[in-house]
Amino acid sequence: MTAYLFILPMIVGVAAFVIYPLISSAYHAFTQWDGLSPATWDGLANFRYMLFEDPTFWPSLRATAYFVLLSVPSSIVFGLALAVLLNRMIVGVKIFRTIFYLPVVLPSIAVLTLWKYIYDPLYGLANQLLTALNLPTSQWLQSDRMAMPSIVIIGVWGVGGSMIIFLAGLQNVPTEVYEAARTDGAGPVRMFFSITLPLITPIMLLQVVLGLVLAFQAFNQVAVLTNGGPGTSTMLFMYKIYTDAFGSYPNLGLATAEALVLFVIIMIITGVTLKTSSMWVFEETK
Amino acid sequence: MTMPAASATYPSRKVEPGSDLVIKRHVPLSRRVPMTVSRICWYLLCSLLGATMLVPLLWMVSIALKPDSNILQLPPQLLPSSFQWSNFVSGPREIHFPQLLANTVTITVLSVFGSVASSMLVGYAIARIQFPGRNFWFYLFTFSIFVPGIVTLIPIQRMFFAMGLIDTWFPLILPSFFGNPVFIFLARQYFTAIPRSIDESAMIDGAGHWKIFTRLMVPLTKPLWITMIIMAFQGSWNDFLNPLVYLNSETKYTLSLGMANFMGGLSEATPQFNYYMASNLLYMLPPLVLFFFAQRYFMMGLGTLGVSQK
Repeated sequence: MTAYLFILPMIVGVAAFVIYPLISSAYHAFTQWDGLSPATWDGLANFRYMLFEDPTFWPSLRATAYFVLLSVPSSIVFGLALAVLLNRMIVGVKIFRTIFYLPVVLPSIAVLTLWKYIYDPLYGLANQLLTALNLPTSQWLQSDRMAMPSIVIIGVWGVGGSMIIFLAGLQNVPTEVYEAARTDGAGPVRMFFSITLPLITPIMLLQVVLGLVLAFQAFNQVAVLTNGGPGTSTMLFMYKIYTDAFGSYPNLGLATAEALVLFVIIMIITGVTLKTSSMWVFEETK
Repeated sequence: MTMPAASATYPSRKVEPGSDLVIKRHVPLSRRVPMTVSRICWYLLCSLLGATMLVPLLWMVSIALKPDSNILQLPPQLLPSSFQWSNFVSGPREIHFPQLLANTVTITVLSVFGSVASSMLVGYAIARIQFPGRNFWFYLFTFSIFVPGIVTLIPIQRMFFAMGLIDTWFPLILPSFFGNPVFIFLARQYFTAIPRSIDESAMIDGAGHWKIFTRLMVPLTKPLWITMIIMAFQGSWNDFLNPLVYLNSETKYTLSLGMANFMGGLSEATPQFNYYMASNLLYMLPPLVLFFFAQRYFMMGLGTLGVSQK
């Protein structure tokens, strides 16, 4: 029974920090609970409020969907493009890999606060560069329309993480396949779409799933940059849950209900992604 | 499903620098000229993209060196009119950087130790000890990777509240001693790849699991736990949500919380952006230094995900 002594920390951990909280959440989602007085059973009231009365529920779902749709594909497309670009034996390639990976190493708060100032309409670098290039400037985070794209751009700056995963996958593609294609006269574009892309789909699936799970839980960006504004344009669902739970008027019952909704949304969407993946993920048959 | 060896960050590279020359011999001369053109284009494109990555950081350095009179200057200048090096002293003092740093280091060191030690133990047992329920526990641990943190955050916060541990560092340190599911997943893969004959011969010599783990496995799995240390360091150093939820007194803040707080208070009335950026550079420094010394391990943690999919 030494084995159980070894895994004891994890058993206690899973019980205290996963199973118990899940059960507690499943119960408290159906209660009225402010954290000061004991929770009282309230049936479906939280869900009813959320769906029909809460003025920020639907806007925040909309903002979250918009964020996910912008950020997940962009990190995959740019990550793969950079990985393909840097997947060659050439002098200096390591330096470029390091440079592209650099933003990933930096603490997220350090990066976000830096970008907050970059986006400053008066003193920021973004408008300074646009003015120098004679392009129209923007209000960035202070504009309804640009706030979310601005947040997504910061993510694209940190695309090096996705690049590294793709790079590891690209280097697993056997070179003989390329050599065979080259002798058959295939050009680089043809080789990318007929060889690289199909062979890299399993890693792309991993990236899509990881990207979705993380994007639905994005929080720091909004907490540091916009507090959900302007209006509700960047009110990511995760941030809404946080303010409902730990804001000035804590409504823990509502917040746990919302957290469960987020959990279910994430499960459904990753489930659908995995189920439909057989349609586009290449499987090696041996 | 094997981890790359410590010495090879990109384990499956089979192309030698000269090998594409062999193929090029079949290519007519007329097609060889575009090769150099494409090479120049490649350098141009990479330099352009690389510059885009670096410009925000260089701009930060420029702001960090600007004298106070430059901050509200319109139109803003890219470079400081003179270098105010004292920002690197006054900035951290204003932000209480030494205090925040000491807090963050304490929390980070303890939670890195906790999560790496406990995950190594669990990973070892799951991978190398036959016991009933082994797969059940492994799947349960893996399942917990997929439970979003926000679902468990509120009950866990109430739990620490009931224990009177709000506004202490316990909620930021304690959970890491109970294993990290992602690390356990990595550790299991790594331990599984080690030949079984090693511990079998040790067992014949009378060694128990504890002895095999500490004397044999820990030295054998150095790349694994270095990767874990780095990932745990990053997780703890960068964590923002948990300090935000658990800490109230500014004297207990971590760097992430203190820096965000200071930046949030800056405006045209109190425009100490030069102080802020100087301190921000110092905040970035420890992960950067670690990155340059242990670059291959940084990329290994992520790269493993890609390779293990195959």
